[in-house]
Amino acid sequence: MAVEPVLTIEDLRTYFYSRSKRAFIRSVDGVGLQVRRGETLGIVGESGSGKSVTALSVIGLIDAEPGVITGRVGFRVNGTEWSLLPSIGDHVSLAEEDGRIVEVVKDNRGWRRKVDRLMHGVRGREISMIFQNPRVSLNPFVTIGSQVAESVLLNTGIRNRREAAEKARYWLEQVRMDSPGLRFAQYPGDLSGGMCQRAMIAMALSSEPSLLIADEPTTGLDSTIQSKIVELLDDLKKAVGVTTVLISHDINVVARLSDSVAVMYGGTVLEYGPADRVLSPDFLPKHPYVEALLESIPSERHIKDGLLPRAIEGEVLDTVNAPRGCRFFDRCHRITNGIEEKCRDLEPDLAEISAGHQMRCWLHIG
Amino acid sequence: MRFSSVRTAAFVLGRELAITALLLAGVSLVVFAILFLAPGDPFSLLLEGQMGDDAVREALGVPTAWYAQYLSWVSNILRGNFGTSVHTGLPVLSEIIRVGINTLYLTLGALLITLVIAIPIALLSARMGNTSLTLPLTIAAYVISALPVFWLGYIAIYISTHRFGAFPIVVGSSGTQGLNMTAFLLPIVVLGVGNGTISEVVRYLREEMGRVFAEEYIRTAKAKGGSVWRHSVREGFIVPITQIIATKIPFVLGGAVVVEQVFNWPGMGRMAWQAAQTRDYPLIMGITIIAAVIVRMGSLLQRVVHFMVNPAAAGD
Ligand SMILES: Nc1ncnc2c1ncn2[C@@H]1O[C@H](COP(=O)(O)OP(=O)(O)OP(=O)(O)O)[C@@H](O)[C@H]1O
Ligand code: SF4
Ligand SMILES: [Mg+2]
Repeated sequence: MAVEPVLTIEDLRTYFYSRSKRAFIRSVDGVGLQVRRGETLGIVGESGSGKSVTALSVIGLIDAEPGVITGRVGFRVNGTEWSLLPSIGDHVSLAEEDGRIVEVVKDNRGWRRKVDRLMHGVRGREISMIFQNPRVSLNPFVTIGSQVAESVLLNTGIRNRREAAEKARYWLEQVRMDSPGLRFAQYPGDLSGGMCQRAMIAMALSSEPSLLIADEPTTGLDSTIQSKIVELLDDLKKAVGVTTVLISHDINVVARLSDSVAVMYGGTVLEYGPADRVLSPDFLPKHPYVEALLESIPSERHIKDGLLPRAIEGEVLDTVNAPRGCRFFDRCHRITNGIEEKCRDLEPDLAEISAGHQMRCWLHIG
Repeated sequence: MRFSSVRTAAFVLGRELAITALLLAGVSLVVFAILFLAPGDPFSLLLEGQMGDDAVREALGVPTAWYAQYLSWVSNILRGNFGTSVHTGLPVLSEIIRVGINTLYLTLGALLITLVIAIPIALLSARMGNTSLTLPLTIAAYVISALPVFWLGYIAIYISTHRFGAFPIVVGSSGTQGLNMTAFLLPIVVLGVGNGTISEVVRYLREEMGRVFAEEYIRTAKAKGGSVWRHSVREGFIVPITQIIATKIPFVLGGAVVVEQVFNWPGMGRMAWQAAQTRDYPLIMGITIIAAVIVRMGSLLQRVVHFMVNPAAAGD
């Protein structure tokens, strides 16, 4: 793998302080990922596993006052390297009492200013983001065309309004908006959810970013629209070849579009590797959580064997009181006598089980 | 413009006009009823000590049934004839227009003062939350809004009398010519500060702005490197500010009645006050109708602004 990584995330931790619980909600708890140029990294995981928080941390859009973010986010394009995470130390102080954090004092404005300074010229220009719920993610008071054109004006060399509008129209065509000329002058309220998501995609691509982060781009749309958006993303990937982080809990979507996949659980990555290995039920070994996850989605296998998809039993992990050992311990069906103690008491590392394939499970790291 | 938005505009405007018509009909009926039922009706008053009422009415061609009186009054108003003042004998409409200009100066100036004070406080605290700067300002806004306007007026007169050694009131009803600046500005400032709406403008604007800052489309704006203010100004500022102005017009007009009294400002409010004391019924009715029209026009204006800001969402 000689292609250089565009995005390198190391030991990212994003904690929100809950005043009522007097403890941190550890939404992202030590995530490390890499995205290479031209590649699509898929992130899957149940609701609440920290996928969105990971993405928002990367582009500095976490806006919870008593939140703390640590780790390293490196971003590298054409030899220019950015470090996108300011060190939190200057802005946060913690008050501890009996080993419990009782107060988090954060200079939020100072922190925000620093983040915004670091992100200047990166957010929007080099990294674009597509959000879930396209209808509320577009400004309802501004026409579709103006919103795309604004992104062109802000993030490309184009300074002329007419040229920007021209470019916006071009991107609306690229995302196969129906009658783009008409849509250009319409407001988001006049468009369907699917058309709004196309507009969002056009807006995100119009800055010709080096990295596109798509957080649940198909969720909330009805299923025929979903598959059309997936098709569009697939075609755009081939045509434009933009490096992408694709977040979705729809495993079929991720399997179709991703080169590599990270499976998140309770704020950590449990398995990370090439998509065709991680998401193929037939490829062994499998992480017990991923195995359960794959069994929970309807697939051709279920139809062929006359089986029903099986939901993963148990509760989604409580990220305040995470267990000492493996985070999946309470729900795991693969624990053997030999490793039970370890599973309970010691968190396994994310270890390489074969070249480019990592897993966090005592079963596979002996 | 698209067909759908033209239709929405027509619908919204039609609805507003219908509401206005209904409201004016209601207001005119109520005003008329009160005056009709009040002891000593206008004609008895005019003809006091003279010959028998009914015979005179007959002779003058004045209808006796209440609805007939009402209808003839309304149809005259619709033709722009508000009658003549019982007191001065001058046409009501031209009297109202003559002093209405002064009230316009007073209320628009006051509104401007209110906004100039309230908007920065609202925007700062929406942006920064409660800080050592915004919290005292907000509290001050609430305290000031709780002060009664007549009291503020007398305090202002008291202070300026001592300071300038003169009573800076607007004397006479000759309009605004030849006024000194203090005399002109003092009532405006007093009404602007004392109309009781500063705190509500602060609260509403701050709340709306804060809500809009948390909207997902603002996050999108940040994600594309755009300006948060630019994207929040429509829903977070223009819409709520026109809304609150429209709903506060009655309060400002009410405050104007008091301020005009206190400062002897030759406006509509003082005229209404005097008309009430002299039971100048045509004048009272005319002023009431005009005030209702002004209030409705505020609401109409608000609709138009909303429509211009977002044709797609203004039909709600
Ligand atoms: N601002 C915040 N303050 C406190 N907790 C937060 C905040 N944002 C997110 N969280 C918590 O962090 C956890 C991870 O949230 P996140 O949105 O990343 O999940 P997700 O994997 O994207 O799930 P989904 O599939 O539902 O989008 C959740 O438990 C959530 O409640
Ligand atoms: S480490 Fe143990 S508990 Fe965790 S997934 Fe592996 S077998 Fe299950
Ligand atoms: Mg999410």
